[in-house]
Amino acid sequence: MNDTPIRYRMKYSKTGNLRFIGHLDTQVMFERALRRTRLPLRYTQGFNKRIRLNLASALPLGFISRAEMLDFWLNDPVGEQIILQMLENALPAEIHVLEVNQTDNSLPSLQGSLVSSEYQITLPANIAGKLFEQKLDQLLAQPEVSVTRRNKIIDYKPLILEYEFRKDSSDNSVVYFKLSSSPAGNARPDDILELLGIDPADCVIERTKLNFSTVEK
Amino acid sequence: MTGSKQNLVEKILYHVEKPGRYVGGEHNQIVKDWKTVSTKWCLIFPDIYDIGQTNLGLSMLYQILNADENILAERSFAPWVDMEGELRKNEIGLFSLESKKPLYDFDILGFTLPYESIYTNVLNILDLANIPMLSSQRTESDPLVIGGGQACFNPEPIADFFDAFVIGEGEEVILEISAAYTVWKQARLSRNDLLTALTEIDGVYVPSLYSVNYNPDGTIGDVTPTSPNVPEKVTKRIVSVLPSHPTKFLVPNVEIVHDRMSVEIMRGCTRGCRFCHAGMVNRPVRQRDVSDIIPVIQEAVDATGYDEVGLLSLSSSDHTQILDLTQQVYDCFHDQKLAFSLPSLRIESFSLDLMDELKELKPGGGFTLAPEAATERMRAVINKPLDDDDFYNTVTKIFEKGWRSLKLYYMIGLPTETMEDVEAILEAGIRVQQIGKRLIGKSVKIHLGIATLIPKPHTPFQWLQVERPEPIQEKLDFLKTGTRKAGIKMSYNIPDSTLLESWLSRGDRRLNRVILHAWQNGAKFDAWGERDNLQIWRNAFSEADIDPDFYSYRQRDLEEILPWDHIDIGVNKQFLKRDYNWSLQGRTRIDCRETCFMCGILDTFGNDRPSDGFGYWGCP
Repeated sequence: MNDTPIRYRMKYSKTGNLRFIGHLDTQVMFERALRRTRLPLRYTQGFNKRIRLNLASALPLGFISRAEMLDFWLNDPVGEQIILQMLENALPAEIHVLEVNQTDNSLPSLQGSLVSSEYQITLPANIAGKLFEQKLDQLLAQPEVSVTRRNKIIDYKPLILEYEFRKDSSDNSVVYFKLSSSPAGNARPDDILELLGIDPADCVIERTKLNFSTVEK
Repeated sequence: MTGSKQNLVEKILYHVEKPGRYVGGEHNQIVKDWKTVSTKWCLIFPDIYDIGQTNLGLSMLYQILNADENILAERSFAPWVDMEGELRKNEIGLFSLESKKPLYDFDILGFTLPYESIYTNVLNILDLANIPMLSSQRTESDPLVIGGGQACFNPEPIADFFDAFVIGEGEEVILEISAAYTVWKQARLSRNDLLTALTEIDGVYVPSLYSVNYNPDGTIGDVTPTSPNVPEKVTKRIVSVLPSHPTKFLVPNVEIVHDRMSVEIMRGCTRGCRFCHAGMVNRPVRQRDVSDIIPVIQEAVDATGYDEVGLLSLSSSDHTQILDLTQQVYDCFHDQKLAFSLPSLRIESFSLDLMDELKELKPGGGFTLAPEAATERMRAVINKPLDDDDFYNTVTKIFEKGWRSLKLYYMIGLPTETMEDVEAILEAGIRVQQIGKRLIGKSVKIHLGIATLIPKPHTPFQWLQVERPEPIQEKLDFLKTGTRKAGIKMSYNIPDSTLLESWLSRGDRRLNRVILHAWQNGAKFDAWGERDNLQIWRNAFSEADIDPDFYSYRQRDLEEILPWDHIDIGVNKQFLKRDYNWSLQGRTRIDCRETCFMCGILDTFGNDRPSDGFGYWGCP
C-alpha cells in the first residue's frame, strides 16, 4: 500500500429516476459502487472506517445534472480510463461517468472551492416564455428578492449572477441561471420559480456546470 | 402505464416524502421484456419499501422466478400515506417498480405475509390497484392473488381475500404454481379450473374450496372440502435440502431498515421453546455447509458492495460448524472491511467465543441475550431451561470481554406467571447492571425488552388465552417504575398491538368481515403502532357482530377444532398437547437433536430426508 493516497476527480451525470435519490443516499450509492469495482480504495482512519469520498455539492431532489463532481482516493494508481470503465459498469444506468482525472492532493476540497452553479430550466408548455420573462425582470427590478428557507429570510438578488432566456429545439422556453453556491450564499433555482408562481415539479431542472475558485481540469 | 400517467407520477414524486421508494432502478434490478415471457408475477410486500425490500424471502423468490426465461417477476410495496393520497387524487393505480405497469396487468400477485398486522395493507393495495378485493368477485381477467409467509400457517382470517396460499417454503412450489398457471392460461379454462388445478400442488391451500361450519357456542364444527379431489388437510411444503443461496441482491438507492445483506446459514430450530411459532413451523433443521456459505458471502459482497452482512438463523450457536464458520469469516473477510452480525446466540460461554471471532469485524455494538423468563421455574414452563449461575457467568464474561451494553429480552403474560416471576425480571436486570458497573464502570448500558406472550397457532401454547390488559398493565407499570429508578432502559410492546395481533393470528374465517370493516373505517399500517387503530378495530368487531374476546381471552378446549387444524405443519397435535401438559407440570424437553420426541416431522417428511452429505437434518 502506498502511503500517499492518490486523488481522483470524477465528473458524472445523473438523470431519470435517480433524480429522486437525495444527496446522502447518492453518497452511499457511490460508496457501494466503488466497493463493487474492487479498486484499491482508501478508507478514512479511525474507529468507523469509511471510503474516503467527497461530493462537490448536494444536488436537490428532483434535479438532473450533467456536471456533478466527486473526489475519491485510491491506495495505488490505476489508469483513469480503467477506473472510468469500472465505475460505469458498477453504477446504475442513470448515472454516467463522464471524466476521471488524477488530481493533485494539494488542491482544496471541491466543497470548499465551489463558487457558483449553472442551471437550465425547461418550462412547461403551458407557460408562455414571454410572460415569464417579464415577470422575472419585474421581480429582479425590485431592491430585494426575499426567499424564506428554514425560517430564515435570504435576499436572492445578489445571488442571481446571470440569467438568460432561450428556446430549445422543440420550441420550449428555457431559462438559464448562474447562481451563487458559496458558503456566503447558496441560491436554488426552484425557489425562484416558486416566487414566480410556477411549480418546479412542472419543469425540468438541469444543473449544467459547477464553477470552482481554483482552475479546474 | 401510459405516457401522460407516467408524467403525472413523476410530478407527484416531487411532493412526497422519500420518492426514491417508488422509482426502482436499483443495482441488480431485473427488467424483462414483457413480450418474451409467458407468466408475469408481481411480488408484493404489503408494507413500505423501507421495511420490505430487505426481506430475504422476497429476494429469494425474485431471483428464482426471474432465473426462468419464461417468467418475469417485478416488485411492489405499500405506498406511504402521502403517496397513497396522491395516487388516489390523481386516479393512478398502484404500479410495479420495474416496468411501472399497473398491478392488474400482471398474471399473478404474490403477497409476502410475514406478520399479521400487515393484513389491512393487503386490502388497501388491492383497492389501490383496482383489483376486486374478494376472491369470489374476481374473474378470469383478474390476476391470481396468492399469499405466503410465516403468517399463512393460519390463513383463515384472510381466506376471503386470497385465491390461494402457499403453506411453508416457497422456493420450489412457486415454480409449480407458475407452470400450472401457464397451462391454464393457454387452455383458456375457467377460474374455478385454475383453483382446482392449484389444489393438486403440494403445499397449496385454496380456501374457497373448503366450507366451515360452526357450533352453537361459536367454536368450529367442521372444515370440509367442497369438491371430492380437494385434500382434507394441506401439508406445508418444505425443501428437503436448502437450495443454492441467491447472491445478486438488489441494492436500494435509498436508506432502508436493516440496510445490509443477509445470508441464511440455517433454517429451523430444535430447541422447542413452547412460545415460539418459528421454532414449530419451520422444522426440520437444515443447515448450509461452511464451504458453501463463504463463497456465497464473497459473491454477494462483490455483487452488491454492501459492507455489512447478517448471518441469519433461528439459533446461530446450534449450527454444527458455527465456530469454524466464524473463524473462516474472519480469515476471509477481515481485510475487506466487512461488518458481520450473528443474531440469536444462546446464553452460554461458547457464544462469546463466536462473538470474539466476529468482534474485530464489527467494532462497537452491544450484546443481546434472550432468557425470556427470569426464574428457573418459569423457564421450565416455556422450555427454555437455563441455570441462573450459567446466566450470570455468561453476563460476567460478556463484560469482562469489554462489551459495554447488554440487551436482555423477557416475556410477560406467560402461563402460571405470578408477580414473583415479574419481580425476578427487574431483579435480574439490576443484578446484571451491578455486574456491569463493577467490571465496566458507570457507563454500562442495560436495556430490557419486554414482550407480552401471544399464544400462537401450531405451538404448545395455542390453547391458552392472552392475559387480560389489567394484569399486563400492572406488570408493565411495575417494570417501568423499577427500571426508571435503577437507570435501566426498557422497551415493551404496547398492550393494544398485542391484542390486535392476537385477534389476527388466532382468528377464524369470521375475521375476514372484521378486517374488511376495519379497512373500510381507515385501518392500515397496523404494524406501525403510531396510528390509533384499536378503536377502529373494536368498531369493526361490533359492526361484524363478533366478540373479539372470543379470540383473545378464551382458554380453548384441548378437544376443540382449531381454525388452523386443517393446515398441517408436519408437527402433530398430539405432540403439541403432550408438550402443553408437560409445560403445566414444569417439565422440560431437551434439544430434540439428542432424543427424538416424535413431533411428526419424520412421519411427514422422512422419505425426503437426504441420506448423506451435509444436508442432514437435526433429527436423530
